[in-house]
Amino acid sequence: MPSGGSAAAAGSQPGSLRRRTVITAIPTAAILGASGCTASAPSPAPRPAPPQTVYRFFTSHQAAVVEDATARIAPGPADDPAEAGHPGAREAGVTGYIDTMLAALDGLTGPAPKIFAGGPWSNRHASGPDLMARFIALDAVTIIAWRKRLQGWQRQYKNGIATLDRLAGGDFTTAAPDDQDKILVRQEASAFTSLLFEHTVEGLYANPEYGGNRGLVGWTDIGFPGDIQPQGYTQSEVERSGGPDPVADTGIVADVLKFLGAL
Amino acid sequence: MSKAVVIGSGAGGSVAAMELANAGWEVVVFEKGPNRFSNIDGEGPIGTTFSNDDLKMGERYFAGPDPEVFPRTWRPTATAPVQYTGSVNDLPQLVGGGTMHWDAKVPRFWDIDFQQLSALGPVPDADMADWPFEYSDIAPYYDEVEELIGVQGDLGAVPDIVLRHAPRGRQFPMPPGPQQRASVAVAAGATAIGMHPYPFPMAINSRAYNGQAACNDCGFCSGYGCPVVARPSALIPLRLALRTGRVTLVPETMVARVRLTGSGAAARATGVSWVRMTSRGPVTGAEDADLVVLAASGIETVRLALLSSFPDASGKLGRRLMMHAFVDGTAVFTDERMHAYRGRSTTQCAEDAADPDFPGARAYAKANGLPYIRGGIMELGGSQSVISEAQAYQTLLGFTRSAKPFGTDFKQLMRSSILRDRLAGCSLVGEDLPYLDHTVTLDPTVKDVFGVPVARITWSYGKYEQTAQQFWIPHLKTMMKRAGAAVAFAVPDTINSGGLPTGSHIMGGMMMGADPATSVTDGYGRVHGLDNVWVADGSVFVTSGAHNPTNTIMAVALRNTRHLAGG
Repeated sequence: MPSGGSAAAAGSQPGSLRRRTVITAIPTAAILGASGCTASAPSPAPRPAPPQTVYRFFTSHQAAVVEDATARIAPGPADDPAEAGHPGAREAGVTGYIDTMLAALDGLTGPAPKIFAGGPWSNRHASGPDLMARFIALDAVTIIAWRKRLQGWQRQYKNGIATLDRLAGGDFTTAAPDDQDKILVRQEASAFTSLLFEHTVEGLYANPEYGGNRGLVGWTDIGFPGDIQPQGYTQSEVERSGGPDPVADTGIVADVLKFLGAL
Repeated sequence: MSKAVVIGSGAGGSVAAMELANAGWEVVVFEKGPNRFSNIDGEGPIGTTFSNDDLKMGERYFAGPDPEVFPRTWRPTATAPVQYTGSVNDLPQLVGGGTMHWDAKVPRFWDIDFQQLSALGPVPDADMADWPFEYSDIAPYYDEVEELIGVQGDLGAVPDIVLRHAPRGRQFPMPPGPQQRASVAVAAGATAIGMHPYPFPMAINSRAYNGQAACNDCGFCSGYGCPVVARPSALIPLRLALRTGRVTLVPETMVARVRLTGSGAAARATGVSWVRMTSRGPVTGAEDADLVVLAASGIETVRLALLSSFPDASGKLGRRLMMHAFVDGTAVFTDERMHAYRGRSTTQCAEDAADPDFPGARAYAKANGLPYIRGGIMELGGSQSVISEAQAYQTLLGFTRSAKPFGTDFKQLMRSSILRDRLAGCSLVGEDLPYLDHTVTLDPTVKDVFGVPVARITWSYGKYEQTAQQFWIPHLKTMMKRAGAAVAFAVPDTINSGGLPTGSHIMGGMMMGADPATSVTDGYGRVHGLDNVWVADGSVFVTSGAHNPTNTIMAVALRNTRHLAGG
């Protein structure tokens, strides 16, 4: 049955434009029946040096909090032993991605802030100039829309970072990784953690012109070639099986498959 | 020379502009959204700034409309309060309209769609009716549209059930392109349960056509603009219109009102009022016209008719909104990566579920107190983008790892790619019947960036749609299992959306019909009581059919505007 909460979730993305790509549906009855499982806590990781980048929106402390929090969401080798060899949010430059986005319209002088990367291709898999790096000028209506959206997110980041610090007793970055995890799931922080998760995903897996996915580490870790124009794929690449490649269905993969299989 | 204003540059508006220009009219086409193309009116290939960019298209509204400035509202019934404000089954808002984000699936409606009341009888609570013409009347216009925009397909592979209900004599203009591994796998499952899959007819170039490149199967297809413009769609009639030298395209400009004069039999349009945003705020203006054609898509055309206080003798203006009853199926393959991120999304389809006489369907309907039920065309083998895959895991981790719904578990799921690289999506495009209480009205409080009231959608599935979905869900699951999926699940789209309509198929609201007492527009889409106002988009549909609607939108717009412009 319809519920306000799930309607709001559906509206957080332009889902109607991508019907065929959003096909993971979770019936409410299944949600109510699901029981939470407890993940094993990772051992504390050595803390890398704080980011040295100059930020446009964040203060250096705010950036450090976002850096730590997004690294808990998508950890890399320095954050979780299970991620050895697998770059995460830190390595992808997620904090820089978020800062670039939040400040995209601050002190706007040119017509093309970093909202819409250019086209039609980057030439990443070919030779030639990166046309995605030439951002697209915004029309007047779109500037109004993004001012509204970014003002809302800027407020959520300022308040959310302050909440994480408060729950950590003053400074989130001094908390142990296990404690940071516990803070991120606290009810007072959950809305901000959800927003951070969404932006972490974008910073890891969006085209690198937006400032994240540095060195294509996000795509490389999942074996995704990313944007492929102008060459596309051959008939054989489209049609042929890549051969047997059984998934390692243990741990979380097994649990999610079991959950989906019960729908 | 007489002057016409066409509102909207998508599937219907582009065809109307072409026909009017060919008939000698001077035409101004107003498009609310921006132009993402270059050289539409030139000789060589059309250029674009669309790209393989998940963020730009999937998350940032590059093809618009951005709900921060152009929201809609939704409520499930007329007695319920508004439950959602934002994107409500929006179509793209830019030059080319809905044909710029689509994956260009162009099946035809069936004969029984046009004569549904006569052929299948009434359905309780629904406002069933026949169209003012039959399949045989519209078939030549399907042929012409398919030749015009360029459609790939294989006549020899079209199954008998389709040829029986939608006869076609001509081979498709182009042969099918490469068939996706995932689509072919699911199609085998469809065959195993007695269905008849075949290469999905689609308006995508499998070879150079219309001066545009062949598709190179980049995979960023459904939901993305095409970087090589291998599915130019509405841009082709728009190009032909512009090349007459009699057509002006005005993007980034919203028509806020059709200006009317006179009353009763003397009522007519004198032009339109428009509004446009600049860096210094909104600018308004007017365009006089001898003829106004509304083609802003189902919901926005109705909104404009209401804002303009159109006559409504039948009381049906804005009623009978239809949006298709989707079932979203997901097949997960654990032994193999299906790489559905390569190729034109969903290269196979099956139409058997549109048949009210599919084995078991009549009995299931009868057991549920209905005379019949129909599902609709099945799209076999869709993909999912990396970012939406990650969002799905974010949701799933909330249910399976509530103590820590992130971290290495998230990244392990991404590497396993059970919901992207190992996935094949299967959508059922189910028929949505016309109900008088499924409506577009003006929201009493919510306004757009220009201060104009937005469309309020009142819609939820009726018993017919839910019954048909429940009949077809087990068939979908069995089909996916027979295809080799380790896990297969299928649910109505509204389960995932919280009740909101999804799927970007918008029909009804300005129903065609011969009788002004029971329809909003005449048999050619001319507004009853406003002789110089025509409608040329999906809003004139009488029923929703059981197939992707755009081929029918374009064919009907071609039939209607050619008749009216010539008459």
